[in-house]
Amino acid sequence: MSRRLLLVTILLTALISQPPVHPSFAQSPDDQTPFAPPSESPPPSIDESHPSEFTSRELEDAATMLANLRGNVRLFPDHSEARLKLAQGLYRIGDLDAAIDECRVAIKLNPNDAKAHLQLGVILMAKQDWRAAASVLKEAVRLDPAMTHAHYSLGSVQYSLGNVKAAIQSYRQALELQPHFPDARYRLALLLKLTNRDQEAVQLMEDAAQGGISQAQFFLGNAYKSGQGVEKDLSLAIFWWTTAVAFGHQPAADALSKLRRQALSSDHKDRRRQDALGAFHAYRDKLWKGFPNYSRTDDSETLGTRLLKENRADYAVSVLLQESYALSDVAQLELAKLYETGWGQHLAPFDKKILTCFETTAGEGFVPAKTILARIYGKGIGMPQDLPKAKSALKGLSKLEMKPVLDELGLQ
Amino acid sequence: MLDWPKLRRLFITSLSLQALTIGLLAALCAKAVWTVAPATFTAFDWTAYDTWLRHRAPTAVSPSLTIVARDPASEERFGTLLDRALLAQVITVAHEAGAAAIGVDHRLDHASPAQLGGAASDALLIEAVHTAAPVVFVHDPDSILRSDAAILGHVVVSTDPDHVARQIPLLTMVEAQTVPAFGSILYDLSQQQASPATKSMVTERAAPTLVNPVGNGSLAVLPTIPLSSVWEAIQHHDDEKLDGWFKGKVVVILPNPMTQSPWLLPTGQSVSGMVAHIHLLNSLLTDNRLCQVGSVGRYVTTVLLGSIVTWCLLQFRGSISLLFAGCAIAIYGALMMTMLVGLHLVLPVALPLTAALFVLLSTTAWTHLTTGQRMVLLERDMLRVQQDAAAVREALILRENRAEALQEDLEAARSAAAQSAGQQEEQARTTEALRSQIAETQGQEQTARQQLEQLERQLHDLRAASTEAGAVGDALLDQLRNECRQLGIITQDPTLLRMFRDVKKGAKSPLTVLLLGEPGTGKELFAKAVHRLSSRGSKTFIAVNMAAISPELFESELFGHMKGSFTGATADRRGYFELANHGTIFLDEIGDLRLDHQSKLLRVLQEQSFYRVGATTPTTVDVRIVAATNRDLQRGVSEGWFREDLYFRLKGLVFRLPPLRERAHDIPIIAEACLAEIATQMGRAVPKLSNDALRVLTEHDWPGNVRELRHALERAVALSDGPVLTKNSFYSEAVSTNEEQRATPAAALPDSASDAAVLTCLRQHGFDMQVTAKTLGWDRSTVTQRLKGLCFQALVESNGDQAKAAAAIAGDPSHLRTVELKLRDYHGHLMSVIEPFGTADEALHDCKRRFKNLPDRHFVSVAHLVRQYFRQNSDLSPSRTTTLKPS
Repeated sequence: MSRRLLLVTILLTALISQPPVHPSFAQSPDDQTPFAPPSESPPPSIDESHPSEFTSRELEDAATMLANLRGNVRLFPDHSEARLKLAQGLYRIGDLDAAIDECRVAIKLNPNDAKAHLQLGVILMAKQDWRAAASVLKEAVRLDPAMTHAHYSLGSVQYSLGNVKAAIQSYRQALELQPHFPDARYRLALLLKLTNRDQEAVQLMEDAAQGGISQAQFFLGNAYKSGQGVEKDLSLAIFWWTTAVAFGHQPAADALSKLRRQALSSDHKDRRRQDALGAFHAYRDKLWKGFPNYSRTDDSETLGTRLLKENRADYAVSVLLQESYALSDVAQLELAKLYETGWGQHLAPFDKKILTCFETTAGEGFVPAKTILARIYGKGIGMPQDLPKAKSALKGLSKLEMKPVLDELGLQ
Repeated sequence: MLDWPKLRRLFITSLSLQALTIGLLAALCAKAVWTVAPATFTAFDWTAYDTWLRHRAPTAVSPSLTIVARDPASEERFGTLLDRALLAQVITVAHEAGAAAIGVDHRLDHASPAQLGGAASDALLIEAVHTAAPVVFVHDPDSILRSDAAILGHVVVSTDPDHVARQIPLLTMVEAQTVPAFGSILYDLSQQQASPATKSMVTERAAPTLVNPVGNGSLAVLPTIPLSSVWEAIQHHDDEKLDGWFKGKVVVILPNPMTQSPWLLPTGQSVSGMVAHIHLLNSLLTDNRLCQVGSVGRYVTTVLLGSIVTWCLLQFRGSISLLFAGCAIAIYGALMMTMLVGLHLVLPVALPLTAALFVLLSTTAWTHLTTGQRMVLLERDMLRVQQDAAAVREALILRENRAEALQEDLEAARSAAAQSAGQQEEQARTTEALRSQIAETQGQEQTARQQLEQLERQLHDLRAASTEAGAVGDALLDQLRNECRQLGIITQDPTLLRMFRDVKKGAKSPLTVLLLGEPGTGKELFAKAVHRLSSRGSKTFIAVNMAAISPELFESELFGHMKGSFTGATADRRGYFELANHGTIFLDEIGDLRLDHQSKLLRVLQEQSFYRVGATTPTTVDVRIVAATNRDLQRGVSEGWFREDLYFRLKGLVFRLPPLRERAHDIPIIAEACLAEIATQMGRAVPKLSNDALRVLTEHDWPGNVRELRHALERAVALSDGPVLTKNSFYSEAVSTNEEQRATPAAALPDSASDAAVLTCLRQHGFDMQVTAKTLGWDRSTVTQRLKGLCFQALVESNGDQAKAAAAIAGDPSHLRTVELKLRDYHGHLMSVIEPFGTADEALHDCKRRFKNLPDRHFVSVAHLVRQYFRQNSDLSPSRTTTLKPS
């Protein structure tokens, strides 16, 4: 488990610095597939190929490309490959009807072309013509039973048609052909979850989560929180949610926010508050296991402060952020310093991510974050001075907690 | 084996049984009629309920009910179809805020489309349901998503045949699966939340429940929280607001737009099934349920109302019965409204009212149908009781005689005891035994007397009942009255008119008619009516007064004679029977016919043929017989002066004509008719009767009935000069008659010393010893001794002919049988006493001792009889044939 955790942490930290991947595209297991099938909620028509998202330059390029493709079709009217390329071009600019027509002509020219069927099936899926898509994809599978994407797409279509069993079957076949296919695992896990097979679902979900599917990470976190199919472990739920948040998954962020609110609630006798606080603490402790070379010297030390001391520029700030989000006051104070001063070449001062962390946790009622934020607003660190905003940031604190900050800001 | 006649009798005589049966049949008929138009029936049945629902005061909405519904803002934000992820969030928030139960108007029958989150949203919803378990969803047989935490409830509403939805089935079958109602599950969950031991409503009783809507039953009348507000509160983490909405409440989330409203409520509002279920839930939460009577209850109520109305119609007559029946229906209506408003219990309307209508029609028909039957049964009862009374009377006489004989034996034993001291002890024992026998016999006599009294009371009751029984419609009575008048019968008396109706029916048949009644009650008029109403109306009607025919000429008069058959028979003569050929012969005063003539008449009645006097060939005739008498022929049969076979031959149709005193209200019209007739005969103007005169006439007893009345009127008309007959015109007549009547008992009081007086008194009381003794103020044994003496005297006078002696003592033939029995017994006892003795003197010595209470003048007769006995014995010995003629 710890090894797996380490791997995931490394992967996570590597990804944090990269822009988040759009979740609407499944990770392709190989690059052979000419066409990435849509896998998640938004249909392909609203991905980057959507006309509204094109710049005028790109539109021009697309028009030129389409003209070339049409030229090819005119030169070789009986060449199915040319027609499929034109169909792809048309699909990319959102002309689904024309793309379907071209695909159909290509299939007529070469009826045994499984790829043509798959392409037509995907376009029909984009049109939400599930029945037509199902029959075309079934034909594609018949022509080439080893075509993973055809099975995967057929699974999605079958589910949309309400055939859950057939959908599960299709995903299982896709996984048999291509075991390292996290999207298929995630999809299969979802369907198993919907059919009350939680244990198998969690297993597949974990595989998909480790494969980097943020939705899978979110659901895995949920499973750990509620104990569905696994032993209940709130700290692991926090871990997987945090991982999903790193991929920009908003529901996971909301789930974490909710848990933080529970941990920071004013009802000290609430069992849920105790559980949440304990879970955050356990989560922070578990972070040390990702760095077995380091061990804690005293209780006040966090992994982030240690990495900072060790000049581990690769991980220090990201770990500090994770600890701050996991309600570590030490990590927040350290981050406050970094926000103000920056860290040489590794971090510029007034980093937005750090400020967002303070704002988020302060909004959720974390006292250290509130005081830090009041200082930032009151002193105008990295922004114009705004005393009323500083005062409002301190709302909800006791006089004793407010006094040092107010003294420092000279507001008393 | 069922005794059908007995059952029939019980049914005809029991009003309650008839009422119940008619009520039951009416209920069945009503049900059958309404099956033709079920929609109209249902609408009619629920009219009161529907009207009440529309006009009652508004009902309360439960404070523990929260409805989250879509609003324009949420439409704008979330679109027409809601993402299940959002729904999952609302469910989770409601659960975390502490909702008692959560229900969602959402079906799990489809997968989320990709644009609404696809399988991920579905999984989120399932997770939320698992967290908030249990959550109630709308049942769909094709559910794709499955979760143990989701309870599926139906949102079906039962539609009545009039297309109005009034009830929700708590359980319904969907594709062989039993599905509970959405509203009831939520209620159960909320109750179980409050107290886990609470039983489920569905298991308690799964009958359909009436919807008790708030206001007009639409969603608009229920307070709802907009989905957009809930969403805002979730986004702003406004826990206070969320707690206020959801904590401890039953939360119903309506995420779908309300497009269809297929159910029409009784309030006239069309709603969706979900809204109807929310109203059901509200009524359960506020404990404001409506109940209705089950199907068995409906029929019981209907039969009960039908039976009560029938009973009212059968028990009372005319418009009063309709009034009572109307009251019964009105009371039911009031009860129905009271139950509805007070107890929220819905009673049936259409079926009971229709049944009541059927009852009104069928009871009238039934009354007409059964009146005749009841009359026949009553007459049979009367006859039976009369027979019983005669039998008991005979038994009484025998017991009396036995008691008296034993008493005499006791006396004899006492005297023997006095004579023989040695035998004293034995005598004492005998005395004791005899005493106990006397006591026993007296007890039996007492019992028999009580039986007789009871039977006479029954007879009296039956007579009273027969006069009251059976109502004939007024129109029919009028018609009968007119027909009577045409036949010369003037009456308004319903009993007589009903009898006339029966006469009319009976006249058509060839049956022999027997008319009974006091003199002057119109027996001949009725006989003529029978003739005229029969098919023989155009033929001859011959009336023969049997009492007026000389016994010697009886045969000649009735059957005719041949020339030379006897002195004075100078030509062939046809008898009355021949004259009445193809017509009717009326044999008046048939009770006065001698026994030998009775047998001759019987033969004619049996064979319809007879021999003229002196003829050798029989003459056959076709004659309808109508007989009449003022004597009790039944009694005549039991007492032996009327042949039983003739009685039964005559008793084809029996009509008893009531005396005028029993129909006093007929007196004015009869008087009026008579006056008109008399005046015409006398050639005078028709005089009027003053009120006083009319009262005198009405109050008078008229023992001679109409005949006497007519004579009185004739006398009054003849003696008065003025146009108005006053009280004084009749005064002397009425007074004299009354005075005569008053004088009769005084005059009849016998000289206590005279045998004739005792005999008269005995005759007056039908030879009842006890009553006679009471009247004379004597001891019963004294009366017995007198009668015994008289009997012995009569035997001596008749020279031993018991029949003759009995006739002499009885005077009236009606007492003949009683006297004959007594006489035979006294004589038998005397013979048994003297039989052991060898000589007349010894026997007389013993007799003197035995019959010491017998007056001396009568003992002479005893001595005569004893001596005659021994004389005969000595003459005819050893054959010991008695000289006494057998009776």
